[in-house]
Amino acid sequence: MVLMMELIKKAEKLAEEYGVEYYEVRIARISAVNLQMQNSHLEELSSNFEIGIGVRAFSGTWGFSSANDLKRGEKAIETAMKIAKVMGGDSRIYIGDPVRDEVEFTAKKSFADIDLEDKLLFIKEIDRLLRDDKISNRRVSYADGIKEQLYFNSLGSEIRTIVPRIRLSFSVTAKKGMNMQTYWKMFGGTGGWELIESANLEYWTGFVKEKARSLLDAEPPPSGEFDVIMDPELAGVFIHEALGHASEGDAIKNGESILGDKLGERIAVEELTVVDDPTLRGKFGSYIYDDEGIKGRRVEIIKNGILNEYLLDRETAAYLGMEPNGHGRAQSYNYQPLVRMSNTYIEPGDWGFEEMLGEVRRGLYLIGDKGGEVDIANGTFMFGAKEGYLIENGEIKAHIRDVALSGKILDVLMSIRAIGRDLKIEFPGYCGKGQWVPVDDGGPHVLTRALVGGLL
Amino acid sequence: MIDELAKILNHKNVEWEIYWEIGTGSSFKIEKYEIVRAQQKFHSGIGLRIGYRGRTGFSYITGVSHRREELERFVERTIKLARVSEVPFRGFPNSKKKSSVPGLYDRATAEMSFEEGYDAAAMMIEKGREILGEEHTFSGGIAFGTAEDGVMNSNGIEKTMKSTGISMGVYVLKKNGRRGSGSYYQSFRRLSEAEGEMERGIEEARRDAELSWSAGKISQYEGELVLEPHAVSSVVSILMHSLYGDSVYHGQSRFQKIGERISSEILTLVDDSTIEGGARSYPFDGEGNPGRRSVLIEKGVLRGFLLDETYGRLMGMESTANAARDFRTMPHIAASNVIVEGKRENLEEYEGIVIKKVFGEHTANPISGDFSLTVELGYRIENGELIPFKDNMFVGNIFEMLNSIAALGRKDEDLSGFISPRMLIYGKIV
Repeated sequence: MVLMMELIKKAEKLAEEYGVEYYEVRIARISAVNLQMQNSHLEELSSNFEIGIGVRAFSGTWGFSSANDLKRGEKAIETAMKIAKVMGGDSRIYIGDPVRDEVEFTAKKSFADIDLEDKLLFIKEIDRLLRDDKISNRRVSYADGIKEQLYFNSLGSEIRTIVPRIRLSFSVTAKKGMNMQTYWKMFGGTGGWELIESANLEYWTGFVKEKARSLLDAEPPPSGEFDVIMDPELAGVFIHEALGHASEGDAIKNGESILGDKLGERIAVEELTVVDDPTLRGKFGSYIYDDEGIKGRRVEIIKNGILNEYLLDRETAAYLGMEPNGHGRAQSYNYQPLVRMSNTYIEPGDWGFEEMLGEVRRGLYLIGDKGGEVDIANGTFMFGAKEGYLIENGEIKAHIRDVALSGKILDVLMSIRAIGRDLKIEFPGYCGKGQWVPVDDGGPHVLTRALVGGLL
Repeated sequence: MIDELAKILNHKNVEWEIYWEIGTGSSFKIEKYEIVRAQQKFHSGIGLRIGYRGRTGFSYITGVSHRREELERFVERTIKLARVSEVPFRGFPNSKKKSSVPGLYDRATAEMSFEEGYDAAAMMIEKGREILGEEHTFSGGIAFGTAEDGVMNSNGIEKTMKSTGISMGVYVLKKNGRRGSGSYYQSFRRLSEAEGEMERGIEEARRDAELSWSAGKISQYEGELVLEPHAVSSVVSILMHSLYGDSVYHGQSRFQKIGERISSEILTLVDDSTIEGGARSYPFDGEGNPGRRSVLIEKGVLRGFLLDETYGRLMGMESTANAARDFRTMPHIAASNVIVEGKRENLEEYEGIVIKKVFGEHTANPISGDFSLTVELGYRIENGELIPFKDNMFVGNIFEMLNSIAALGRKDEDLSGFISPRMLIYGKIV
């Protein structure tokens, strides 16, 4: 505490000396537990604690420095300021008003109070539940972490936040001859042990085993343009890749995004509304303040088919003459904040699943997220599904495996034909953009058209 | 301080391993011909593994200047973790063999000041302006750093290394009704190499942006096609999973027996951490095993897996020195420099379908080998004329593809530690 007060004072003094316009400092204390088990063989059990400092100074350009040894804290502050000064530049940032706050995501049952031995027993129990003759590989991975962060800036903001995050995932591989298929499930969010304790593990372990086994007999997918119904999980990764990244303010500012000059324009069907909301309670991508000391805010990226708002941080907001909406996130204290998503989802429409199915003569019903990637400059995205089914004349037919989709952002958003009523946002994961941040995404069932890269 | 930690550990009845790192890194980010962000970061820390009654404990601390009491607490905490942990302990390496790889440390890069870095970024902008016209948007960046790493263990291993790195990225976007983009990324050990490559990198990104700008989707194709080194790197990354010792040991790989034929006899695949000045070279790995060259596939026959000490011992084989880590993590198996070799032919003047870059390989199923990747850039060459395409999907199965390899080109490209020529295969585009 004394050290923090000293650093605040030092920063003020140095800022005067270097004549920097604005600076901000993040001091984070992180404690993390990781357990990983493969085929009953414990591969990792670690419990660690770390403190570090990250400093940004602005003087027409951002200078950044970090250190994972607080004894170098003052040096990091000075380095960031020196850099900003040396560089010059004529960029601008949104300044705003100072904020003083102290907030915490509360947990019903803090995972810090659960013994490491009990966490180990817990993953062993899951490993036991995953055992099966036809399963050649089982993996269980558990991680929890508490991040306590003190943020202060040259405006006099002083924000203390405590965010606990927990994650559990397990996967199985079923084998028959040379054929092997994997299925997995992930749970997680911001909060405590209750987030995974409430999961019905008997059901979900049975579920992934059954899926992996049945995929052994699934067929490879067809290829070409098809009508595609995405389940809520796949709709989540779809909207994250196909729209989310292209709406990030930095991609707009640097001229790369295909959505650059389209604010206020219709880019999707009228029924489509897409939201990014860090304030959803308990979700994996939730936070209170972003890493620039701005409160996270719900953003309607697309509202009734119109491109309504970008995701913004202090710099991209100033560039566009707008206000930031709390989307400047950093992987950790040793990274500079970038514009990032939080929990991204498609608002529900009014279609029932059966009704949607009835619309498809020949197409695919695709389920589950296997990751994706987007080229925002060319407007091309791709993502994989965990599994799928052929649809013929409104009926679900053969099971298919290893399927990936690709499409053009602007075409596919206009090709959406139906949006379901059944919204789910419960698919925690990590998004990579040179840095990894926890996110969640989801949606209801969605019917659109895309290129399927199949082997047949 | 490392010695003091070792002294404390020597008084405990445990086996131990210290892995430490001290480093700094700087980077400059360029957007639309301007430097918009710069940073200089310092990092240091110690990872400690303890072997105690057949079990492993691991923990780390950041910083390398701690008081004795802090070090003692660190040791006690890690021993306590070893007690509750059920991670089996298979022993630490004991190879004291001296090993060195030349060209990993460059004084000029290590001593590069922040101002010199700024000048290099400014030079990149200037070259960008010279090479590209106003109709292109230029972004990119330059990063450089230096690090000192060391491993010490209770078997008497004591090794340290110094290394430098400098990397350069270029991204060129052409907008004018349509859109096209091209990129270039490369990492080096020496400042002089990076400077020498700057123009070539920008030129290559410009060329790809032009091609991408005029490219569209082509109709379905199935047959002979050539993969450029970039695309080879994407598909080989799907294969690597099956060559990791832990995948093999845990039934996550279809390969089980050394000596099996797994690809056409054209292909030889090597992992080599001893290449002079190589982007992913090292004299010793994260556990202190000396770096080496390991043949994984020789003329189509499986010759080895990538192993660290733990999986080497579990499988009754020798570690191939492929334990990757930083001080925050336990060692895990990862490739070093990967080299595609084999029978060469002239593919440089190949006429037909050529795929330069694909993306999305992380969505492939490395176990079944099925992949569907989006083509970022490809071209059809007919009578010397180049007709570009993009947005199609390149689909297939990695294990079938290996059997279809018909030839390798003559000219190697080094993509930051993935070294390969062009590859002629049978494939499908949708």
